[in-house]
Amino acid sequence: MIGEATSSGGGGKDDSPAAVSGKKNKKPNYSRFTQQELPACKPILTPGWVITSFIVVGVVFIPIGLASLYASEHVVEIVERYDKDCIPPDYRNNSLHYIQTSETDKNCTMTINVPKLMKSPVFIYYELDNFYQNHRRYVKSRSDKQLRSKASEGKKNIAWKSDQEHKFGSDIYPKNFQNGSLIGGGKLNPSIPLSEQVDLIVWMRTAALPNFRKLYGKIEKDLQANTTITVTIENNYNTYSFGGKKKLVLSTTSWIGGKNSFLGRAYIAIGGLCLFLAVCFVFVYLLKPRPLGDPSYLSWNRNPSGQMN
Amino acid sequence: MDSQNPFEGEISLNRRKGENSVREVRHGSRGGDIELLGLSHKEIGDDDARLVYLNDPVKSNERYEFAGNSIRTSKYSVFSFLPRNLFRQFHRVAYIYFLIIAVLNQLPQLAVFGRGASIMPLAFVLSVTAVKDAYEDWRRHRSDRVENNRLAWVLVDDEFQQKKWKDIQVGEILKIQANETFPCDIVLLSTSEPTGVAFVQTVNLDGESNLKTRYAKQETISKIPEEEMINGLIKCERPNRNIYGFQANMEVEGKRLSLGPSNILLRGCELKNTAWAIGVAVYCGRETKAMLNSSGAPSKRSHLETRMNFETIILSLFLTLLCSIVSICAAVWLRHRKDELDILPFYRRKDFAHGAPQNFNYYGWGLEIIFTFLMSVIVFQIMIPISLYISMELVRVGQAYFMIRDMLLYDEESNSRFQCRSLNINEDLGQIKYVFSDKTGTLTENKMEFQCASIWGVDYSGGRTISRNDPVQVDGKILQPKMEVKVDPQLLELSRSGKDTKGAKHVHDFLLALAACNTIVPLVVDDTSDSPVKLLDYQGESPDEQALAYAAAAYGFMLTERTSGHIVINIQGERQRFNVLGLHEFDSDRKRMSVILGCPDKTVKVFVKGADTSMFSVIDRSLNTNIIHATEAHLQTYSSMGLRTLVFGIRELNNSEFEQWHLAFEAASTAIIGRAALLRKVANNVENSLTILGASAIEDKLQQGVPEAIESLRTAGIKAWVLTGDKQETAISIGYSSKLLTSKMTSIIINSNSKQSSRRSLEDALVTSKKLTITSGITHNTGASDAAAVNPVALIIDGTSLVHILDSELEELLFELATKCSVVLCCRVAPLQKAGIVALVKNRTRDMTLAIGDGANDVSMIQMADVGVGISGREGQQAVMASDFAMGQFRFLVPLLLVHGHWNYQRMGYMILYNFYRNAVFVLVLFWYVIFTSFTLTTAITEWSSMLYSIIYTALPTIVVGILDKDLSRRTLLKYPQLYGAGHRQEAYNTKLFWLTMIDTLWQSVAVFSIPLFAYWASSIDGSSIGDLWTLAVVILVNLHLAMDISRWSWITHAVIWGSIIATFICVTIIDAVPIFSGYWAIFHVAKTELFWLCLLAIVLAALIPRYVVKFLYQYYSPCDIQIAREAEKFRSPRELRNTKIETNPILGSPHR
Repeated sequence: MIGEATSSGGGGKDDSPAAVSGKKNKKPNYSRFTQQELPACKPILTPGWVITSFIVVGVVFIPIGLASLYASEHVVEIVERYDKDCIPPDYRNNSLHYIQTSETDKNCTMTINVPKLMKSPVFIYYELDNFYQNHRRYVKSRSDKQLRSKASEGKKNIAWKSDQEHKFGSDIYPKNFQNGSLIGGGKLNPSIPLSEQVDLIVWMRTAALPNFRKLYGKIEKDLQANTTITVTIENNYNTYSFGGKKKLVLSTTSWIGGKNSFLGRAYIAIGGLCLFLAVCFVFVYLLKPRPLGDPSYLSWNRNPSGQMN
Repeated sequence: MDSQNPFEGEISLNRRKGENSVREVRHGSRGGDIELLGLSHKEIGDDDARLVYLNDPVKSNERYEFAGNSIRTSKYSVFSFLPRNLFRQFHRVAYIYFLIIAVLNQLPQLAVFGRGASIMPLAFVLSVTAVKDAYEDWRRHRSDRVENNRLAWVLVDDEFQQKKWKDIQVGEILKIQANETFPCDIVLLSTSEPTGVAFVQTVNLDGESNLKTRYAKQETISKIPEEEMINGLIKCERPNRNIYGFQANMEVEGKRLSLGPSNILLRGCELKNTAWAIGVAVYCGRETKAMLNSSGAPSKRSHLETRMNFETIILSLFLTLLCSIVSICAAVWLRHRKDELDILPFYRRKDFAHGAPQNFNYYGWGLEIIFTFLMSVIVFQIMIPISLYISMELVRVGQAYFMIRDMLLYDEESNSRFQCRSLNINEDLGQIKYVFSDKTGTLTENKMEFQCASIWGVDYSGGRTISRNDPVQVDGKILQPKMEVKVDPQLLELSRSGKDTKGAKHVHDFLLALAACNTIVPLVVDDTSDSPVKLLDYQGESPDEQALAYAAAAYGFMLTERTSGHIVINIQGERQRFNVLGLHEFDSDRKRMSVILGCPDKTVKVFVKGADTSMFSVIDRSLNTNIIHATEAHLQTYSSMGLRTLVFGIRELNNSEFEQWHLAFEAASTAIIGRAALLRKVANNVENSLTILGASAIEDKLQQGVPEAIESLRTAGIKAWVLTGDKQETAISIGYSSKLLTSKMTSIIINSNSKQSSRRSLEDALVTSKKLTITSGITHNTGASDAAAVNPVALIIDGTSLVHILDSELEELLFELATKCSVVLCCRVAPLQKAGIVALVKNRTRDMTLAIGDGANDVSMIQMADVGVGISGREGQQAVMASDFAMGQFRFLVPLLLVHGHWNYQRMGYMILYNFYRNAVFVLVLFWYVIFTSFTLTTAITEWSSMLYSIIYTALPTIVVGILDKDLSRRTLLKYPQLYGAGHRQEAYNTKLFWLTMIDTLWQSVAVFSIPLFAYWASSIDGSSIGDLWTLAVVILVNLHLAMDISRWSWITHAVIWGSIIATFICVTIIDAVPIFSGYWAIFHVAKTELFWLCLLAIVLAALIPRYVVKFLYQYYSPCDIQIAREAEKFRSPRELRNTKIETNPILGSPHR
């Protein structure tokens, strides 16, 4: 602390001989940085700037919205719920029993009518509703270690290549899968390595939301309108216990993804709002302008008694 | 640098000591400090004493182990660093919160995050601080080592040998050469001067650069330690931190001598103008007074931070609410499905894999809910913006960097930069409402100039045109006083005419009194040039005395030599020697000093000088009544001109009187018990029935730019109060010259002698002030403070009245009155009263107070105020040591408050709000997702991203903006001081803004969450991909939100904002490239889709539009002053800027470029 006092003891008389010799000039060096005078631009929200920005946003957003709405409209999507229909009538009141015994025949045949031309590739999804795949217990129970090791090509490319190559081992065989006494799902063929069990891989990519689809396969040819497709479903998975819905989805795709008009509408809404605001601001500006930077608007000038000068 | 003060306990001690050692420094040398300290001046008891055997360190140290002379300012050693540093760091509540969260997360049932991710933030912060502490400590170690290894001459085996400082022990005899520093506290035994005088410079200790005299005792002067053994015993008090006090006695050769503060040389001081000095070490190392005084700056807490803590509590309530919602919903969900839990495919309570079904990770309904609650605390932990506290510290360091380097705050004259001693209250500078200023040395330069004299009833103040510092030949040298003094030609004429005529005789005596009645040490400056003219420098503790001595020299009475026994005065070229038979030092009770001189004509005269009140009571009023009246009239005139006055008196002592005095004086000065009281009594006996000589008037020059600065502060809405020890007339005249008081003001003066009269005058004054404010016809109801400004009232009150008012129920009245006044001037106040006045305001309002002062008597006030500013001027370092900020000139207060204070406040206020928002928006996004995971706290955003969010993704921009952003330029702020009112009105941070921000936060989080939610509803999106989308969206959003509010975009700001966004992309990519994480490669898949980017764009726009619109409407249709000024800055013509330059120059002083 003595040292500190020495260095800060600037109070000495400059002309006493000891002080002059031992003192270095402490004047700060000038630089634009230390004086906080770096060149800078100072944006201010002027009416012109605000109105222009709203118009630009509106002009950009509405076409994007229309385009994505258009794309979404052109996606052909067939959704068939099969959990109800695939239970034989005598089990209707006891669906749980039906799904849990291994004695019943789970096979179920549905016919789907294609209403419109579906361009290839047509994706086949199964959709689950009210299924919390993102439930903490579920997420935590998966063990990446069990699944991991080395690689190969999959069923029609439905799984992520990266997953196949790095997450699911090719020399791991699903021997233990669903071997317990609680049955309620499909079985895996224990002789195929995990990395080729693409359905499993797809399934193991945890869905983000409780209502989700999983890709099952692709149809690599166009489906003409009014074609009838017959699907044989093995109704294995138990959704009855929690009132979940199971659906089969056939869908084409577009640049915007599947059939979802939300984004298009959102863009149109935002764009429209911006244009509306722009118009409002123009009116307001014309009706009640304020000169920018007029000192007479300063509080002490508006209210001269407030301050004394 | 330390925000946490390890010496917390010592501070209060220090403060008490500071008050005790406070002295009236203005008029004379200090005296009677010991008596001030302890009323009962007791003999040092054996138990309390430290026994030091001269030249016998072994014996001295055998009973107690006195501290060695090695010092240690470092806090840690290599081994103790880790535990001690961690212990210190965990004193902060914030870190404990971090720790608890991290520990909770280690419980297997609650492990939301991986171990690494949960410890990382804490580890990061701890290690950054530890590295900083370690570096600082290493520097301290290094300086300690240098200090400890310095060499000193120590008597070993009858020979002076060089020894390292750290090896010096108590009891050893040391020899110090000229210009060397004392290694420890030493009792002086002998010096190179035959009289035993040593001159020391105490600049390192208290900042006073003038030389002080220290004396060796007569009995030891002649001893030469190398040749004859000195045996003796010093009995001294225990080590203490009072640098102006020392009590001891010494037994040498059977005689008992008493030792006082004038016999001790303190560590850190330097020996000057004395070839060598020999002494015995009494206190060493950490027990020296210098080390005992080295405590850190006081730690204060900023107003903004205190307010912020309140909002933090709201946030933690909010956090509790969120967690409760989650756990209640989870409880309802579990209850609702309690029959299904075993078979739900995603729940599976029972483990069927191994024979009999058992509960798997299920602890029952109640516990599950508690766990959910705790887990949600972990997940939502950053709701409490702990990182904000660390960011704030970094920001303050950055702000301090720029304040220190600001050229406007550099004082060329004293070569001192601005100092930030406390790093906690930068932003308080932007909200100061009251400035309490000392006068002398703060408003004025404390550089005294002799102006007028009234001698024997004649006023010599005309025609001060000639400046003189004529060289005079003395002993073959030509001496020239260092300072020029303007002289009155008439008086000069008279002074040269000898002392034959009656008038000339009085002039002679008066000038002799000026030259002799002081404690000035004349020093011939040894410059290397061969010029025969040597400069004569008068060193003294009081600037008044210096001014008087220079004045005497200018009139031909040049003091050229002083030893302890005599002085030599060159009177009109004739060398005359006067024996100094006795000197009664100045003390604050007598308010005068006297010197008893044996003149060359064998007469003995007592010369007395002192304050007018005290002098007129000891001047024989029956003699020369006309002269006394004339002098009084002159004094009145001088005072009204703002000059400081002193009155001089003389009396010739006849033989019997002298003998009587001499005996009493000898007895008193060798007394061990109550010496000062005895001396005072002796002084009072001799200082009476004086003949008046005249009076002197000294100008205390105003510092440069003070009137302009006060004007600016007043326009800024800051109330300036001046607290001074000077008398009322002087104070008022300084008030006028500094524009504190203006002719427009009505003055209310309160001088009362009793409580009753004080009450009466206060009540009258209150009525008057009310009347004044009402008659001025106030139509607006903006409060009392504005009303006062309409028809300004100045309150002038003196110390005597304050004695009756402070600490009584009258305080309330005074406060009420004072707040109605635009200026308050307190004169004749004691140091403690200064603190009392500050407390009066501080305790009754929420307004911020600032105290500024330069002297030891301002210490209490500086420590009491919210912000203490020390002037690192001429009067020592105590005020600076006690202050939070220190600077060279009073006028720097204007740029400090109006510019830096404003910036700091705006930046910090915005930063707090922004940090609240930034963390809350992220937490809310997490929270919304929890609803879609059946309340089980799965996060889509990876744990690493949530940890890195406040450390990497968004940390830097807010810190940089907090340091660099400027809402207005320096020029504008100085042009319109009223802009400072933004701080008074708390525009940058208030409850309304907090809630508005929170509403905005809510909307933004909804936008961020819901757009991807709907866009990806019933799609094959996986958790990690949508999580990455949310992460990026939030980060881009909060950075753009910040970008929208930045006022100045320099390249640094650009780099930081866009850099942060890019860094986030990189981090997210890296996290997704690690195969063991569940989100492996997610970003690569999702970034390929157009939907992802469209979502991102839509989120940012949708989230920011409401804020944008509101901000624009508010700025355009209800603009605050800052907004208008900013527009003016940008759009108004440069013509106005030119005007500004002219206006601001006086405040800024000369541009230092």
